[in-house]
Amino acid sequence: MANDKNRLANYLAHRSKRGTALLRMRDVMRVSIREVLRKRRRYLGVIAAIALGTAGFITIVTMGRDLKANFNNDLDMLGGATIINPYFEQEGMERLEWFRDRTLISLARIPGVVDVTGAVLKPRAITTFQDRIYGFNLVGVDNAYWRVFSFSAAEGRLFDDRDVAEGARVCVLGTDLARTIFGGHKQAIGQILSIDDNLYQVVGVLGGVRAGDRGQFLFLPITTAKARVVDISQPYSAYVRCATWDDVAPVAAAVPSVVAANQIAKGLRVNVAWEPLKQVQRIFWWVSLFIYSSIAATLVLGGLGIWNIMMAAVVSRTREIGLKKAMGALDNDIFFQFLFESLCVTVSASILGIILGRAGVEYMSHMLGARPPEGLFLFCLAAGLIFAVVIGVGAGLYPSIRASRMEVVEAMRYE
Amino acid sequence: MNSQTRYGEQGDLVIEITGLTKNYQNGEETIRVLKDVNLHVRRGEMVAVMGPSGSGKSTFLFVLGLFLPPTSGTYLVSGRDVLSLNRTEQAIFRREMMGFVFQSCDLLENSTVYENLELPLVYAGVKRRERPDRIREALARVNLEHRVYQPSNRLSGGERQRVAIARALVNQPEFILADEPTGQLDRENSLRVLEYFNKITQGSNMAMVVVTHDAMTAEHCQRTCVLSDGVLNG
Repeated sequence: MANDKNRLANYLAHRSKRGTALLRMRDVMRVSIREVLRKRRRYLGVIAAIALGTAGFITIVTMGRDLKANFNNDLDMLGGATIINPYFEQEGMERLEWFRDRTLISLARIPGVVDVTGAVLKPRAITTFQDRIYGFNLVGVDNAYWRVFSFSAAEGRLFDDRDVAEGARVCVLGTDLARTIFGGHKQAIGQILSIDDNLYQVVGVLGGVRAGDRGQFLFLPITTAKARVVDISQPYSAYVRCATWDDVAPVAAAVPSVVAANQIAKGLRVNVAWEPLKQVQRIFWWVSLFIYSSIAATLVLGGLGIWNIMMAAVVSRTREIGLKKAMGALDNDIFFQFLFESLCVTVSASILGIILGRAGVEYMSHMLGARPPEGLFLFCLAAGLIFAVVIGVGAGLYPSIRASRMEVVEAMRYE
Repeated sequence: MNSQTRYGEQGDLVIEITGLTKNYQNGEETIRVLKDVNLHVRRGEMVAVMGPSGSGKSTFLFVLGLFLPPTSGTYLVSGRDVLSLNRTEQAIFRREMMGFVFQSCDLLENSTVYENLELPLVYAGVKRRERPDRIREALARVNLEHRVYQPSNRLSGGERQRVAIARALVNQPEFILADEPTGQLDRENSLRVLEYFNKITQGSNMAMVVVTHDAMTAEHCQRTCVLSDGVLNG
């Protein structure tokens, strides 16, 4: 009996002397990779599914904020959902307050704010052209005004920072006004208009989705308007453009305290287009749900695909499993071989997905003109790899256990 | 029967099976597949176990390979009671002590001859640098060194069976179990395989048990036992 025990000890010692479990694992892993490479056609579908899911996940998450901002910009043109309008209203006999420059600068520093602009106004201003008198609303704005409302030039150009800084005598006309006075947009460019005995050259006609609201407006640089226009108002109203709709609520909440910190805030009102905002958020929520559901469905289908393929592999390779066990493979050897095969598929799919995702991020960065933080991409890369391991283990676990527990007799008798 | 007197010294014995029975339960009915089987095989000996279909040959082979536990009896390999081994120890025992040759060759598809022979070495934890020599040595014993990197599906039937023999030899086992090794071969290839079997057993201390119903295969063995209705004679 003692001799028997020595012999068994010799077998076990023989095993540990020949190679550690680590060595065997490395070889089993190599065999698994070889197996996957040789049967790669079988795995192409699930590799593509997981790769596309991972690429979509990386692209959407990495570019999410930029996409939202861009999407926000497009949607916002229709409803101005992310534009907050703080204004002063007269309370009783108190003096009506207006926005000081330092207040506007402070408002621009609130996190989530993209641009801030103030406007001075002279309603019912008049000009004469070829002996005819025309009435309009005169507004003095700075260059940020165009960005806040996403205005562009339908003709000519909009005045820039230099014009504002120099107090240039240039003006931009609303579309209707340009048509009424000059008969068309092109004819308006370069013309001279007289307002309050000052001459202004028309440099552009206002364009953009919301330009129609300001068809009867004439815009002067704010510095020019303040210096040269009689009875021009103070900037009682300001416009704050938020980066995304998620920023609107916190920015709106912060505006009163920021104003109060810089000047008297008596009569301050904050106007937010809550209803359009909710509609935009609702649309984006559904779009996001659709996108993320598609990604999740792709990944889940990929996982189920691997599970299905591995189960089929266990059945179709029953004799192979029996043969390997007859050659002395431990249950663990079989278990890890199948698990490594599953992992090999998911990790290679994930790596492919990361490469595609990187390409997607680069392409979208180019299209949107934005550069997402590299850390976010690295986070997504790590998340993609971890997810691949989880899905690989999850999908491969049961088939691997089934393979490892297979009895040699049943396996060898399997036809 | 005293194995020491009939089969030589105790140390020469590789396989000692005494009073082995195997029953299957089919509802209330007990089917006795192996009945008090005794078999002793010594080093260098090639024993044929013959019998008609349904006589229990395959069950006997599976018991010898520790794939099926017997109902009763003792089974010693080189003096060690192998029936007391647990599942993991049985796997270690199989890869260290025995080699298997199957009727259908059962080579791994889409793999080369080298990869087929490497697998038992992988499971045995043999270092990679030692493997090529071991593989070439095993292939040399069946005259197939020149086919080492040939894909297994490009081999002829005879070559496939010789590769299977080489794979059984590569871990230098104490004994080989062969299940109808010439069952799918033509006469010429069968003879060649049997010659290799003879050469291997005679040129080493290896024992071999060949389960067959082919008389020619049995003729090439030193001893033939007949399994009939679960009883082994010879």
